[in-house]
Amino acid sequence: MQVNHKRQSLLPKDEFKSGLSDILPLAFGVAIYGAAFGLLAAQAHMSELQTGIMGTFVFAGSSQILAIERLVSGAGAFTALIAGMALNLRILLMTGLLRKELAGRPLWQVIIGVHLTTDENWALMYAARAKGRAVGYWYLVGGGTCLIIVWTMATVFGVSFAQVLPEPQAIGMDFAFTAAFIAILCSLWRGVQDLMPWLVSAGTSGLLVLFAPIEPSWALALGGVTGAVFAAMLLPITAEKEQVESLITEPKQQVSRGTL
Amino acid sequence: MTDQWILICALAVGTFSIRFGGYLLGSKLPTTGAWATAFAVLPGCLLSALLAVIIVQGTKEQWIAASICLVVAILSRNLLLTMTIGIITVWLLRSYVQF
Repeated sequence: MQVNHKRQSLLPKDEFKSGLSDILPLAFGVAIYGAAFGLLAAQAHMSELQTGIMGTFVFAGSSQILAIERLVSGAGAFTALIAGMALNLRILLMTGLLRKELAGRPLWQVIIGVHLTTDENWALMYAARAKGRAVGYWYLVGGGTCLIIVWTMATVFGVSFAQVLPEPQAIGMDFAFTAAFIAILCSLWRGVQDLMPWLVSAGTSGLLVLFAPIEPSWALALGGVTGAVFAAMLLPITAEKEQVESLITEPKQQVSRGTL
Repeated sequence: MTDQWILICALAVGTFSIRFGGYLLGSKLPTTGAWATAFAVLPGCLLSALLAVIIVQGTKEQWIAASICLVVAILSRNLLLTMTIGIITVWLLRSYVQF
């Protein structure tokens, strides 16, 4: 689609900075969530070193929380691992969608890119693009860099000061991410063609959580895939083509492939 | 080796394998046709599904706050405003309303 050539492309370092500053409201929520994880890590008798290494090299908040919660509740390391991994399955679909951003890049950039992919900076990149901004790899990495620093520091802070921090529930902070995801979902809205796939996804996963004896993360992944398959089968592909290409095509200018 | 270290190392390796596996899978998928349509709509579908899972397992004050957040997000398209109002709503409901 020629329309992409008209988009204003940014230099990698500007795109990186833009990703870093756009993520700040979400980084605030991540800091709270990280401190909450630190409290849990303290209950699991984890040291600052263990917490910092986990934050840096796992870097998947909800799965860290679930896995350590299982460990605290007396489950063995293997059961805790399975729970954490099940929750992370959705990331497979997320990094799968980044093929345009990662194609043709050196291996070290691919490794950094996929490791720094989280719900927050990934969704924010699509939201920025839905608003017509020519952002891609470096925007994602900029947001991810901010998040991994904030997350790791907040979790280590939480485990160090476990005795004196308030419970996140007491001040409504546990709702921060739900509110953020609602706002991000609204900014992903491309038009009425999104309505039915979104409702099918929400309905499927909601019903599965209520009535099927499976982990919520499986219900989430199944619901998301069902909605996407529904869209592919029922919506006329030709009418979708333009939106599809505008969403998945990377800005053509080669500057976006430069080094930071 | 303690349970904590085993879990940390295994979860780090496993999570990275999932992230890198998505990259390997994604680069083999076609860019046009039904697959492309499905992939274009997938981010919104996954977020809808995630929210449905959260809401279904949530409490009454979270349902009320989520409804308010939805209206605020549609009207303002502002991330920080939506988060702030959501947090304050949950906090106020927990402090002053008995469910």
